[in-house]
Amino acid sequence: MSDPQTKDRRDFLLKLGTGAGAAALVIQGAASLRALVPNVSYDAPTTVKLGPPSDFPDGLKFLADQRLFVFRDGSTFHAVSAVCTHLGCTVRAEALPRPETKTVGGQPLRLTHRFSCPCHGSKYEGDGTNVAGPAPKPLAWYRLSVSADDGQLVVDLADEVARDFRLTV
Amino acid sequence: MRSLSKLLASDTPSAPGVRPTALWSLRPKSDREAGDAVTSNFLLHWFPAKVTRASMAWNYSFWLGTASAALFLLTILSGLPLLLLYVPSVERAYQSVKDIEYVITFGRWLRGVHRIAAHLMVVVVALHLVRVFLTGAYKNGIGRNQQRQWNWVIGVAMLLLTLLLSFTGYLLPWDQLAFWAVTVGTNIASSIPAIGPSVRELLIGGRAIEQATLIRFYVLHIVFLPGALGVLFAYHMWRVRKDGGLARADRAEVAPVARVVAPSPTKTYTLLGVARGTSPAVTARSLEAPEASVNAVPDLARRALIVTLATIAVVSLLAVVIRSPLEEPANALVTPNPAKAPWYFLWLQEIVTDTTIHTRWFTISGAFLGGVVLPGLIVACLTVWPWFDRSAAAVTGEWFARSRRTQNLVFLLVLLAIVVLTYIGMELRGPYWQFYWPWQAWPSVPGRI
Repeated sequence: MSDPQTKDRRDFLLKLGTGAGAAALVIQGAASLRALVPNVSYDAPTTVKLGPPSDFPDGLKFLADQRLFVFRDGSTFHAVSAVCTHLGCTVRAEALPRPETKTVGGQPLRLTHRFSCPCHGSKYEGDGTNVAGPAPKPLAWYRLSVSADDGQLVVDLADEVARDFRLTV
Repeated sequence: MRSLSKLLASDTPSAPGVRPTALWSLRPKSDREAGDAVTSNFLLHWFPAKVTRASMAWNYSFWLGTASAALFLLTILSGLPLLLLYVPSVERAYQSVKDIEYVITFGRWLRGVHRIAAHLMVVVVALHLVRVFLTGAYKNGIGRNQQRQWNWVIGVAMLLLTLLLSFTGYLLPWDQLAFWAVTVGTNIASSIPAIGPSVRELLIGGRAIEQATLIRFYVLHIVFLPGALGVLFAYHMWRVRKDGGLARADRAEVAPVARVVAPSPTKTYTLLGVARGTSPAVTARSLEAPEASVNAVPDLARRALIVTLATIAVVSLLAVVIRSPLEEPANALVTPNPAKAPWYFLWLQEIVTDTTIHTRWFTISGAFLGGVVLPGLIVACLTVWPWFDRSAAAVTGEWFARSRRTQNLVFLLVLLAIVVLTYIGMELRGPYWQFYWPWQAWPSVPGRI
């Protein structure tokens, strides 16, 4: 019983058993936690038809479902996100007393509104530039296009674009 | 009852290790009976047999720990009927809370008790932490193997659990208040560099606040968080016993008592391996100054009962008077203006508003600095503080000890800052989170764009 070989074997088996038990618990625990990480996200589609361009008034239209502002200046369109870059509240648009023109992305842009966030008071200019409050970056611009089948305006909320983007219809 | 216990005692043959009395009394006639009341009662078995008068003083602990436990009990008791009335689904949650509030008999009172007990619990648990800090009660006094610093760490964890319990409960009514508080709260998590968005996705079970979020918060609220708090509570109380009771008891113990000098020590005596000395006389404070301590039953039991009943009475009456708010149903399309966090997080909302740092090269979002780094630092400092407090063991359990003046002052200043920021967030922030003095009227802003 007391020969060192038996002792070594018992010691080895004890360690093996304990190790296997611990490993089994850890793996099963990890598997249970992994089940809580969603594999499928049933998000709303990111490409959305917004209606014919003629539906959009000159200036700004707010689309609550997409949390999006669509701007129109004659036949030129662009879309700015309404999601505050600080903590994700929906910013509100406020009409400027008189529209200004600013060079945005190398092109002139007529600014008719500015934005304020109700949660923490961030302020943005009409092109989405953050000018006051805790917002760390400008509001996102999204790609607009015209649907090939029925001529509706289409936004791609997964496709952020630079601020020189314009869609001319 | 006493005569019955005597009767039983006379009939039962006594054997070593078997107590002849099966019953116990809340009005013990002797120290022996008082001890039996503790050891043979399941509810009281975690009490000490004797407790010093000093540690029972109202103006030492203000019984804030007992009140916290009573409030926890009350949230559980009032939560049980609510569990049967509330439906955790995005289609029906709001309606079921509305039914609890307006249709179900005493539903409004039950919800009021649950809500007020939860809010008061945040206050009382925080005050308990303040008391323990200012009295240096996390310090080890004269006892051997005291580990009070670990009980402080458990206490900090219990405060965090209390806040999380309150916050997860906040979402359940699925109204505007709930939805936007959780939007902001979980976006703070997503401001952590690199892993943030994944953390948020795990928290809310997807990319938007939806059914998956509601069920996660619900299960955390009713199972995991209360369970964890219950376990930590039991451990907290066990540690209090292991560390020799309240820190104040240590101070009472070191107060000078005339000592009889033992005759020349030639032999070592022990008593059950607990007391050890060179004379057959066991020295204990309770023997030397019998008036300094009392039996836990009835004295400690009576006071604990008074505090518990008083807490229940206060909450129950407040719930009759104070209405619980229920706003419009949650609407992901409209952010209320202003959108405010629950009051105990308003100081953080104030900080996340003010801590965005813009430089020419980079921008650090206030959400990360004020919402993750700063509270993380505060919690970390609180947790490790007992290991940095180098004041003498003799001031353990003393209010505003002179040798702890600087740390008490810093602690109080941080506390004051939190209180001031909370007040600003509660009262002085209007639409678009603009600052308004109390005498300034808020401008009217359109509800929708």
